[in-house]
Amino acid sequence: MNVRCVVRVCVLVAAAIAVLSVPVWAAAPIKIGIIGPMNFVQGKGHWNGAVMAAEEINAKGGVLVGKERRKIELVKSDSNEFLNLTDATNAMERLITSDKVDFIVGGFRTEAVLAMQDIAMDNKKIFMGAGAAHPELCLRVAKDYKRYKYFFRVTPFNSNYLVRTSFAHMGFVGAILKKELNLPQVKVAIVAEKAVWVDPMIEAAKGVIPKMGMEVVGTWRPSAVATDVTAELSAIQQSGANLIFTVFSSSVGIPFARQAGELKVPAVQVGINVEAQKDGFWEATKGMGNYVFTTNTYIRGVEYNNLTKDFVEGYYKRFGETPTYTADTHTAIKEGLAPSIEAVGSLDADKIVAHLENREYLVPSGKVKYEKDAQGRPTHDLTWGPGYLTSLGGQWQDGKFVGVWPNKWVAAPGAPEVTYKGVVPYKIPPWMKK
Amino acid sequence: MTMISPAVQLKRLVTLVRTEVLVLPSRVIVAMFVLALLGLPLVSQNPYLIRVIILTSVFAILAASWDLLSGFTGQMNFGHALFFGMGAYTSALLNIHFAIPPWGSVPMGALAAVLTGLIVGIPCLRLRGTYLALTTMAFPIILMGIVFALPDLTGGELGISGLQRLSNSLVGNYYIYVVTMLVLSAVMWKITDSHTGIIFHAIREDELAVRASGINTTRYKLMAFCLSGFFAGISGGMYAHYMRIAGPSTLEVSMSFSVVIWAVFGGLATIYGPIAAVFVLFPFLEFVRFWPEYRTMIFAVVVLLILLYMPEGIVHWARDKMEKECPRCKIRNVATRKSCRVCTALLD
Amino acid sequence: MNILITGLITGSMLALLAIGFSLIFGVARIVNIAHTAFYMIAAYTIYFLSAKLGVSPFWAMLIAVAVVVALGLLAYRFLIDPIREHEAAVLIATIALAMIMQEAMLLIFTGDYLTVSALIQGFFVVGGVKVFHQQVLTFVVVLIILAALWLLLMKTNLGLAIRSTAEDREVANLMGMNESRLAMITMAISVALAGLTGAVIVPLAVVSPFMWMEPLIIMMAVVVLGGLGSIKGSFVAAYILGFTEALVVFLIPKGAFLKGSVALSIMILVLLLRPEGLFGVSFEEER
Repeated sequence: MNVRCVVRVCVLVAAAIAVLSVPVWAAAPIKIGIIGPMNFVQGKGHWNGAVMAAEEINAKGGVLVGKERRKIELVKSDSNEFLNLTDATNAMERLITSDKVDFIVGGFRTEAVLAMQDIAMDNKKIFMGAGAAHPELCLRVAKDYKRYKYFFRVTPFNSNYLVRTSFAHMGFVGAILKKELNLPQVKVAIVAEKAVWVDPMIEAAKGVIPKMGMEVVGTWRPSAVATDVTAELSAIQQSGANLIFTVFSSSVGIPFARQAGELKVPAVQVGINVEAQKDGFWEATKGMGNYVFTTNTYIRGVEYNNLTKDFVEGYYKRFGETPTYTADTHTAIKEGLAPSIEAVGSLDADKIVAHLENREYLVPSGKVKYEKDAQGRPTHDLTWGPGYLTSLGGQWQDGKFVGVWPNKWVAAPGAPEVTYKGVVPYKIPPWMKK
Repeated sequence: MTMISPAVQLKRLVTLVRTEVLVLPSRVIVAMFVLALLGLPLVSQNPYLIRVIILTSVFAILAASWDLLSGFTGQMNFGHALFFGMGAYTSALLNIHFAIPPWGSVPMGALAAVLTGLIVGIPCLRLRGTYLALTTMAFPIILMGIVFALPDLTGGELGISGLQRLSNSLVGNYYIYVVTMLVLSAVMWKITDSHTGIIFHAIREDELAVRASGINTTRYKLMAFCLSGFFAGISGGMYAHYMRIAGPSTLEVSMSFSVVIWAVFGGLATIYGPIAAVFVLFPFLEFVRFWPEYRTMIFAVVVLLILLYMPEGIVHWARDKMEKECPRCKIRNVATRKSCRVCTALLD
Repeated sequence: MNILITGLITGSMLALLAIGFSLIFGVARIVNIAHTAFYMIAAYTIYFLSAKLGVSPFWAMLIAVAVVVALGLLAYRFLIDPIREHEAAVLIATIALAMIMQEAMLLIFTGDYLTVSALIQGFFVVGGVKVFHQQVLTFVVVLIILAALWLLLMKTNLGLAIRSTAEDREVANLMGMNESRLAMITMAISVALAGLTGAVIVPLAVVSPFMWMEPLIIMMAVVVLGGLGSIKGSFVAAYILGFTEALVVFLIPKGAFLKGSVALSIMILVLLLRPEGLFGVSFEEER
C-alpha cells in the first residue's frame, strides 16, 4: 500500500511539475496506456516497469518525434481480468477511445488478452502484450497480418520456447544428479497444473525426456489452486522419481514446494514455478522451498548484457523488489517503442509497425528480434535462443534466489558454450545425498 | 374495414400517448428511456459509451430472463450462467467450426440453452426453494468441468475466439443490440402479462392451490425453465459475438451471482425491474473507474445500503413513491392526485 | 491410506463449514453466502497476528475466532436483521457482504498468496505414507469441536431451542421462544464455526482474498446433500463428498481438476432420489 501511495504521489508530483514547467507551446505528451490486473503482482509489475521507463525517458527530455521532444504520459488502467472479462474489454475500450492513448502495453490472462487484442486492432492501435504466453496471440498476426499487425509480444516468449528452456534446465540438472549421486538413470515425475496451455508441454516432455536419457515415471495434474498436494507427493515418492518436472503458474506452486520440502521428498524440482519467481516465495513456503529450481527472467546479480544491471538494480532500488517478467513493460516502452518512434519521426502506427518488426535490439533480458513463421509471415513473436532471449534458471539457495543457468550451456552440438555473468553452481538438497 | 387516413391515425396515437402514457410517471420514464436509447447515437458516438450500453443491453436481457423464471415462478435459479454460457459456447462453436453467421448461430445457441433448460429443469422439478437454489448453482460448475475436460473442442481456459460480430459498424451494432434488447424485453413482459404469466405468478404464491385448480404446474414450471433459457441463451450468444470470444468466464459463479444481484436489486417479478437495475448498476461500475482500487468495494457497499432502505428493489420503491393504486378499481394513479383518474374514487 | 487421510481432512473441514451454514439456515432461514468469507477473515487475522505481530499461533487462532464472531454479529444486527423478511434481499446482501470482505482483504493484504506456519512441524510415516503432524492435529481439533457442538445441541437448553426452531420455526415461536435472540446466538455459533475452520485449516492452506469462493460451492453441496438444517446430514454428507474428492484425485490423477464436478454430480444424483437430501426434513411450504 505505502509503496503504491508513494509511487502515486511521485507520479502526480512529477506530472504537476511537468505541466507547470513545460512552456505552453511545448508538444503534447505521448500517451501510453498500461493495462493489467492492478490489484495483483502481475499488474503491479506492468505499472512499475512502465513508470520506470517513463521517468527515464522524460528525464532526458522525452522522445524526439520529428523535430520536437515529447514527454511520455502513462495512463493506468485496471483490467480486473482475473475476475471479470467484461471489465477488461471495457477498460481497453476506455483507454483507447476515451483516454485516447497512442499505445497500449500490458495484459496477462490469455482469454482476456484475446478479447482486448481485438479491440486494439479495431482501433489500429499498437498493443504490446506483456504477460500472456500463448502462441495463439501471435498466430493471429501471421494468419491475418493486415488486421493483427499492431500486436507485438514483449514478454514472455511463447510457451513452446518456454518449454525448450525448461528442457535445457532439466538436462542440466539431470546431468548433475547422475554424476553426483551415481544414478544409473534419472527418473522424472511430471507434475503440471491442470490448464490448457500446459497440455502441449506435457506431450513434448514425454517425448523429449527419454531422448535425454531419462525415464518418465508418471504424470500428475493437480488443480491450479490446490492447497494440499500431499497425496500427489506420496505417489511421486513411491514412484521412485529423482527429478520432478514442474509446470505451475498459479498458487499451487507454493503448497507443492512447501510440502515437498517439509516431507523431504527425495527428488529435486525443476521447471516452471511462477510463484517461486517472486521474492516472497521464501516467506510463503516458510523456507521449505529451499533448492527449488525455476525459469525466471530476472535474477539479481546475473547479467545478460550491459543493460541488465542498470534495470534490475534500478528497479530494486525504486520498488524494493526484483522485477518479474511483467515489468518488461519497461522494455516495451524504452527499448521497443521509443526508438522506433524516433526513427520514423511520427506516431503513425503503420510506420512504427513496419519499423519495429524488422529491428533487432538489445534489451535487459537479451536481444529482441521479431520472428517470421515457416512461410515467412511475420508473427511478431519473440525469437528464442542463444544470442537472443533465453531467460535464466534460478535456484533458491538458503533464502536467496540465485542464477545457476546457463552454466556452460551448449544449445546445439557444435554451438559455443553460453554462460552469463553472475551464475553460481547448482546445489543438490542434502537429504538426497545418502 | 375502410382505410383510416394517416391524420386520424396520428390523432389516435396522440390521444393514446396522452391518456395512457403521460398520466403515469413510470410510463413516462419508460418512454423517455426508450427514446433516449434510440436517439443516443445521434448525440454521441463515443465508442466507449456505445460499448457500455451494448453490454448493458446484453446483461439486461439476461437479468430479465432470470426474473422470468425465478422472479415469477419462484424457482430460485442460482446457476443462470449455465444458460448464458451454453448460449455463448454453442453459438461460438457453430460460428467457428461450421461458419454459420451470427444471425443463425445466436438463435441456435438459444435453442441449445432451451434444451439445457429442459435437461436441468426436469430433475429440478422435484426440488423446492433453497434446495433448488443451491442445486442449480452446481450446474454451471459441472459444465465448466466438461469445458476443461474437452480442451480440443472448447479451447479450455482460452475459450473460443475469433468470432464474427453481428455488424461491423459501430452504430449498426448499437442498434442491433439495443433494439433486440427492447424487443425481447417487451416479449418477456408480454409473456408475464399473459395467461401463462399469471399462472407463473400463481405458482410462486401458492403452488398447491394452482395444482388444486387443475393446472399442470409441472408443465408450466418446465416451460418457465425453457423460456428463461431461451432468452438467456440469446443474450449469451450475443455476448459471445460482441466480445468475439466465448470462454469459461461466462460460466463463473460470479456471473450467476451478478444476475441475481441485478434482478433482486431491481425488484422481482417485474421484468422491467432487473432491466432498470442493470442500466443503473453496470454503468455505475464503469463510472467508479476513476477510483480503481475501490471499485468493487464501492459497488458492493452501494448495493448493500440501497437494499437496507429498499429491500423490495428500486423499482418497487420508486413506483410506490410516485404512484398510488386506486383502492376501488386497482388502476394506478400519480401520487399527487386526490381522486382516481378512472373511477374518481378518493385515493387513500 | 492416502485416500483415507485426504478424505478425512477434507471431510472434517467441510463438516465444520457446512454445519455452521446449516445451523443459521435452519434457525433463521438465512442463506449466508458470506459464510466462507468469515472463514477467510479468520485466516487473514491469524496470518496478520502470527506473521506480522508475532503473536503465538494458538492465541492468534483464539483472537481470530473472536474477531470473526464480533464481525458476524455486527453484520447480522445491522445488515441482515433489518431485511430479514425479504429472503431474496438477504441473499444478495450476504453476497455483497462477502464481496466487501474480499475487497477489504485485497486492499489490506494485496492479492499475494500468503501462508502461515504449522503449529507443529514435521511428519511421521504410516504404512509407507508420510503424514504431517499438522494434519493429525487439524483432524483431532475438528473432532473435538464437533463433539462439543454435539453436546451443546443435544444436552443443553439452548441446543434444544435451536433444534426445535430448526425443526419448525412457527411452532417454536408459538411456544414462547425468543426467535430473534435465538437467531442472534445461532449466528454467533455459526460464524464461530466458520472462524474455527479457518483457524485449523490455515496452516495447511494458501491464504488469498479469493479463498472463500472454492469451498463455498462444495460446502453448499454438502448442506444440500445432507438435507438443509440437518446437522447429522451435513456431517455425513461432508465425509461422503470429502472421500469422493479424494478418490477422484487418486484414481484418476489426470482428472484431479474434475473433483468438484464429480462431487456436485453425486449431489444432484442423490437429490433426484431424495429431493430433501439424505437426512432433510421435508418441511411443508411455509405459507
